[in-house]
Amino acid sequence: MDRLYIIGKDPVPQRIVLSKPGESLSLTLAVLPGVSCELAMQIDLDAEGCSVDLAGLYVCKGDENVRLDVNLRHNVPGCKSRQLFKGVVGGSARAEFDGLVYVARDAQQTEAYQENHSLLLSPEAVCETHPQLEIYADDVKCSHGATTGYLNPDELFYMRSRGIPEEEARRLQIISFLSPVVARHSELSEIELW
Amino acid sequence: MGDILLEIKGLHASVEGKEILKGVDLTLRRGEVHAVMGPNGAGKSTLSAVLAGRPNYKVTAGSVIYDGRDLLALSPEERSWAGIFLSFQYPIEIPGVSITSFMKSAVQARRRAAGLPELSAAEFLKLLKEKMALVGMKGEFAKREVNVGFSGGEKKRAEIFQMAMLDPTFAILDETDSGLDVDALRTVADGVNALRSPEKSAIVITHYQRLLEYIVPDVVHVLKDGRIVETGGREIVDRIEKEGYESFNG
Repeated sequence: MDRLYIIGKDPVPQRIVLSKPGESLSLTLAVLPGVSCELAMQIDLDAEGCSVDLAGLYVCKGDENVRLDVNLRHNVPGCKSRQLFKGVVGGSARAEFDGLVYVARDAQQTEAYQENHSLLLSPEAVCETHPQLEIYADDVKCSHGATTGYLNPDELFYMRSRGIPEEEARRLQIISFLSPVVARHSELSEIELW
Repeated sequence: MGDILLEIKGLHASVEGKEILKGVDLTLRRGEVHAVMGPNGAGKSTLSAVLAGRPNYKVTAGSVIYDGRDLLALSPEERSWAGIFLSFQYPIEIPGVSITSFMKSAVQARRRAAGLPELSAAEFLKLLKEKMALVGMKGEFAKREVNVGFSGGEKKRAEIFQMAMLDPTFAILDETDSGLDVDALRTVADGVNALRSPEKSAIVITHYQRLLEYIVPDVVHVLKDGRIVETGGREIVDRIEKEGYESFNG
C-alpha cells in the first residue's frame, strides 16, 4: 500500500529505517501549489531483500520556494529502490531537488533507480536538480536521470489544432507530465493541480 | 459545383529560414475532395502545416482565404473552430490524458466558440460511441491515453475518429495512408467517405495512389519543389503510377 503525504498537511517522517528482511515501503510526496517547504528525508535499507518505491511531485505557480532532499541508503545487499520525482515550476518559484543514492561497499546486488524531471513554465522560474550516486559496491544496477524542459510545442500544436484553447492545452500538458505520479493515488487525481 | 471554400494564392512559406513553398495556388470548392500528390520533400506536409497554423512555419508571401476569412490571421484553435481539421502524419502521444477527456476538451471548446451550450455527459458519451463505431474502434479505446502505445494503424484510425467527432467543414489528411495495411486503409477510407457531403471538402495528401482508390478525388494536384506543377483529374494518378513524378515539370 502506497502512502500519500501532502506536504504542509501530513507530517512527514524525516528518517525511515527498513530493518526487517523483505520489508517494502511505498510512499508518495506531494507539494501542492502555494506551499513552500524544505524537506529532508533519509531512508535506510538495513535488511536484505527490502524495497523502496518513492515518488513525488511539486507544483509551484507563484513565488514558492521548494526544497526536497532525499538521502536513500543501501546499507546491505540485495535491496531495490526506485524514485520518481516530477516538478512543475512556474511564476517566480524556485524548486530544488537533491537526491543522493548511497550504496555501501558490501551492498551487492543492489538495484537503485532515480529520476527527476522538471517542467519550467516561465522565464523567472528556477529549478535545480542535484542527483548523486555514491556507490562503493561493484555488483549493482544503478541509474539516475534528470531533465529540465519546457512544454512540448508539438503537443501544444496538436491539441490546439483540435480546438483546445492554448491555456487549456497547457493545463492538459501539465496533467500529462505529472500523470505517472498522480496515477498512484486517486486522491491526487481529484485535486486541481493546475 | 459549390462555391469557393478555400483559395490559396501565391503562397510562399519557409521553415527555419529555408523556403519550402514557392508560390502555391489552389482553389477548393465546397463538396470537393482534392488530392495533393508529390515526391518526398515537395512541400506537401508544409502545406498542411501552414493551413493548420503550425508555429515555426512562416508564410513569407501570398494569401489564404477560407470561407471568406483571412485564414492566416487565425490561431490554430480558431481554425479548428472555423471547421478545419488536420489529420497528422505523425499523431502526437499524450500520456496521462485519455481519449475521452481529450475529445471532451476539444468538443466543448468548439461548442463554446460557436455559442452553443456544452454537451451533457450523456450526450457526449452518445456522440463518442457513435463515432467510435463509425471508424470501427472498440469501446475500451476511449479510456486509453491519446496515441500512447498505439500501432501505426491505430493512430491513423484514431485521427479519423477525432475528425468524425469534430465534424469539420474542411479536412486535411496528411499522409493518412502511410504505414497502413489494406484493411486499415479501407477502414480509414470508409470513415472519410462517410463524412463526405456537398458542404464538406478535403485535401488528401499522399505520395502513393493507393489511398485514392478508396477516396476518389475530384481534382488532383501535383506538388513539386514547392509549386503545383499540374492540376487535373483522376488521369494524373494513373500517369504518376506509370511514369513517376519525373515527367511533371513546372
